[in-house]
Amino acid sequence: MRLAELNENKEAVVSALSGDNRFISRITSIGLTPGCKLSVVKNDKNRPILVYSRDTMIALNRKECEGIEVTEVKE
Amino acid sequence: MSNKTTIALLGQPNAGKSTLFNALTGMNQHVGNWPGKTVEKKEGSFTHNKKEYAIADLPGSYSLTANSDEEVITRDFIASGNADVVCILADSSQLERSLFMLADYAGITVPCFLLLNMADIAKEKGKNIDVKALEDKLKIPVVLLSANNKKEYKSFYEALEKAVTNKTCLDSSRLEDAYSNLEGYNELKAMIPEGVISNYSSSWIASKALENDSVVLAKLENTMSADDYKKVDDIRNAVQGAVLTGGAKFAWIDEILSGAVDSKKENVSLGKLDRIYTHKFLGKPAVILTILLGLIMSFIPAIPIMGVGMAFGSLRVPVAEALTSIGAPDVIISLLCNVVIQSLAFICQMLGFVFGVTLIFGMLEEIGIMARVSYVFDNTMAKLGLQGKSVMPFLVSFGCTMGGTAGSRVIENWGQKVLTIALAWAVPCGAAWSVVPMLSTIFFGNGVFVVIVAILITMLLHMWITAKIFGRGLVNAENKYGMIMELPPYHKPKWGALFRYVLGRTKDTFLRVVTVVMLVCVVFWLLSYSFVEGSEPILFRIGTAIEPVTKFFGMSWELFMAFIASSVGKEGALGVIGALYNGQNFSGAFYEAMGGGGVAENLNELLAANVSKPQALAFIFAITFNMPCVVALASTYQEIHSAKWTAKIAIYYTVVALILAMIAYHVGLLIW
Repeated sequence: MRLAELNENKEAVVSALSGDNRFISRITSIGLTPGCKLSVVKNDKNRPILVYSRDTMIALNRKECEGIEVTEVKE
Repeated sequence: MSNKTTIALLGQPNAGKSTLFNALTGMNQHVGNWPGKTVEKKEGSFTHNKKEYAIADLPGSYSLTANSDEEVITRDFIASGNADVVCILADSSQLERSLFMLADYAGITVPCFLLLNMADIAKEKGKNIDVKALEDKLKIPVVLLSANNKKEYKSFYEALEKAVTNKTCLDSSRLEDAYSNLEGYNELKAMIPEGVISNYSSSWIASKALENDSVVLAKLENTMSADDYKKVDDIRNAVQGAVLTGGAKFAWIDEILSGAVDSKKENVSLGKLDRIYTHKFLGKPAVILTILLGLIMSFIPAIPIMGVGMAFGSLRVPVAEALTSIGAPDVIISLLCNVVIQSLAFICQMLGFVFGVTLIFGMLEEIGIMARVSYVFDNTMAKLGLQGKSVMPFLVSFGCTMGGTAGSRVIENWGQKVLTIALAWAVPCGAAWSVVPMLSTIFFGNGVFVVIVAILITMLLHMWITAKIFGRGLVNAENKYGMIMELPPYHKPKWGALFRYVLGRTKDTFLRVVTVVMLVCVVFWLLSYSFVEGSEPILFRIGTAIEPVTKFFGMSWELFMAFIASSVGKEGALGVIGALYNGQNFSGAFYEAMGGGGVAENLNELLAANVSKPQALAFIFAITFNMPCVVALASTYQEIHSAKWTAKIAIYYTVVALILAMIAYHVGLLIW
C-alpha cells in the first residue's frame, strides 16, 4: 500500500521507492530506505504527512510521497 | 598561497551550520553569491592559537548527489582542494538520519572531522553518545557540543587542530564492504580508474555512478571509451542504485552507532504545542497568531531605537536655525538638514524595527517554530513556488517592508528568499495604511471599505503575477518540489549568541542602508533644489513637462510628484500634495513634507477642489503599490546582495504601480 493510505498511529516498513533520481536521492538522504520502520504521526488532507522514522519527525508533501510503498506492521 | 588553513562546513539543513559559522567568525564574514549561481556563498575567518583560519559555509544540502546547484557547488569546492579540512556536522539528537552526510562523504580523501551538534537536546532525549568509540570506528576526531554555547568550543578547536595536523581521513572500508555486496558495484568500480575526479576515490565515484549522478556520469562518458561507458549505462540501468547504496549507507551508520550510542525507547507522540500547530483547523490561525505576536514583540526592543531616531530628526529645525544665524549658505543648510539629518533619522527609526524583527524571528527560527510554520503553509506557499516560511515576511510586511525583508533571512534558499522579498513588496505597509484609508475617506466616504477590499484583492493578484514573472529566474525546478523536511525538536534559544549576531547584523544593515539611502536622497535633493534663485528645480520642470503623459495615468503633475516622493517614503505623500496645491515653493514643500512636516490643515478642501474621484483612485493605487520606501530598497539590497535583482524589483514595482494607477483611473472614469 501507499504511505498516504496508512492511518494515523500505524506502523509500517518501507517496501519500495519509485520516482525520478532527485526524489530517490532526497528520500534516501532523509532516511526512508526500503526496510526502514516508520510510524504515521499525522495524516490530514491538504497538509504534509508527518511520519516518525530513524529518530526524526519528517514532514512529507502528499504528492511527493506517492512513490513510497509500505507494508503495514500489525501489532 | 596564504598560510591560512581553510575549513569547509558540510551538513544537512538544520544541522546548525549557520550557528557554528556565526559563532566562529563573529562579524568577520562576507556573504555573496557563488559566481553565476542563485546560491549564497558565505565565507569568514577567525584566529585561534595565533593561527589564521578561513572558513567556507558550504550550501546546505541533504546529500552529495548532484541534484541541485547547492550540491554541485559543494562537491566542486571539495574536489578543488580549496579546503584543507572539512567539518561535517550532524544533529546528535537525530543521529541516525543526520549521519547520512558523513556516509555520503565516505570515500572522499580530503581530511575531515565530525561535529555532533545539539548535544544538549540529545542529552534531554536520554541519549548517551560515546565519542571515543565513534572516533575509533571512524578514525577521525569527533566532537560533541552545542554550537549555540560558545563555552563548549574548546573541544572543537582541539578536534580541528588534530584533523589539520594529522590529516585525518574518514575510514570508509566498512562502507565499501557493504557496497561490494550490491549488484553492479564491483563491476563498476573495476572499470573506474583512480583520479577521475581529484580527491574522490574510485569507490565513491562508482557508488555515485550507481546512483545515476548526472555529473559523475558525464565525467565518465568523457574519460571512458564508448564501449566501456555503454557497460556503465547497462549496469546502472539494471538496478535502482540510489536505493541500494542508501540502504548500505544506513546499514553502515547503524553499525557505527551500535555500541557507541544508547538511547531510551522514544516516545514519538507530538508535544502539546505541536498538536496545535499540526491541527487541521487550528494550525493556520495558530501560526498567524504566533507571527503577529512576534511582530508585536519586535516592537519592544525596537521602540528605544526608534525614539533615538525621532529625537535625532527633531534636530533638523534647531540645526537649520543655528546655521542660518551664523550665515551659512542655503545649499549647505538644505543638504545637511534635508538630506543628512533627515535620512539618518528615518533610517534609525526603521532600523529599530529591523533589530526587533531579526531578534524575535531569529529566536523563533532557533526554537524550531519556523519549521512548523513551513509545515503548516507548505501547500499554500508552494503555489507561489515558495516554502511555507515565506508567509512570515508577508505578514511582517503589513507592518514594515524592511522588517519583512529582514525576516526573510530565515529562508535558506537564495532564490526563494529573493522571490519572497519581491512579493513582500506588494504588501501595503504601515505607512500605506496610514495614508490610504484617510485619502479614501475624503473622496469616497463609506466607500473606503470597498477601496480597501479592492486593494487587498489587487495585492493577492499582484503577488500571484509577480511570482510567475520572477519565479522563473529565481526558483529552480528542484526547489519546486514539495516538502521533504524534518521537523527539528524544540530548542532552547541562547540569547547571548543570538543577541551578538543580531547586533552585528543590524550594524551591517545600517552601514549598507545609509550608503544607499544617502545616495538616493542626494539624487532627489539635486533634482528638487533650486540652485539659481527664482529658477525652478529639475524635478518640477520634468513633472510639468510630462504632465500630458502622467495625465494618462490619472495624475496631475502635483500628484505625480507626490507619487515620486512616495517611493522615498509613503508618509510624506499627503504632505507633498498639500504643499504643492497650496502653491508653496517647490523645494521647500518637498522637504517639509518628506520631513514629516505634517499635512496641510485645509487638505480636504485642497483635494476636493483640485482632484477628481478617478484621479484620487489612481493616486491611491499608485502609492499603495509603488516601491515601499527607499529604506526598504536599501535593506533589500543588503539582504539579497544583488544590485541587479534589487534594481529589477524596484523598476518592476514603479512600472506596475503606474499601470495599476492607469487601470484604476480608467475604471474610475467609467464609474463617475
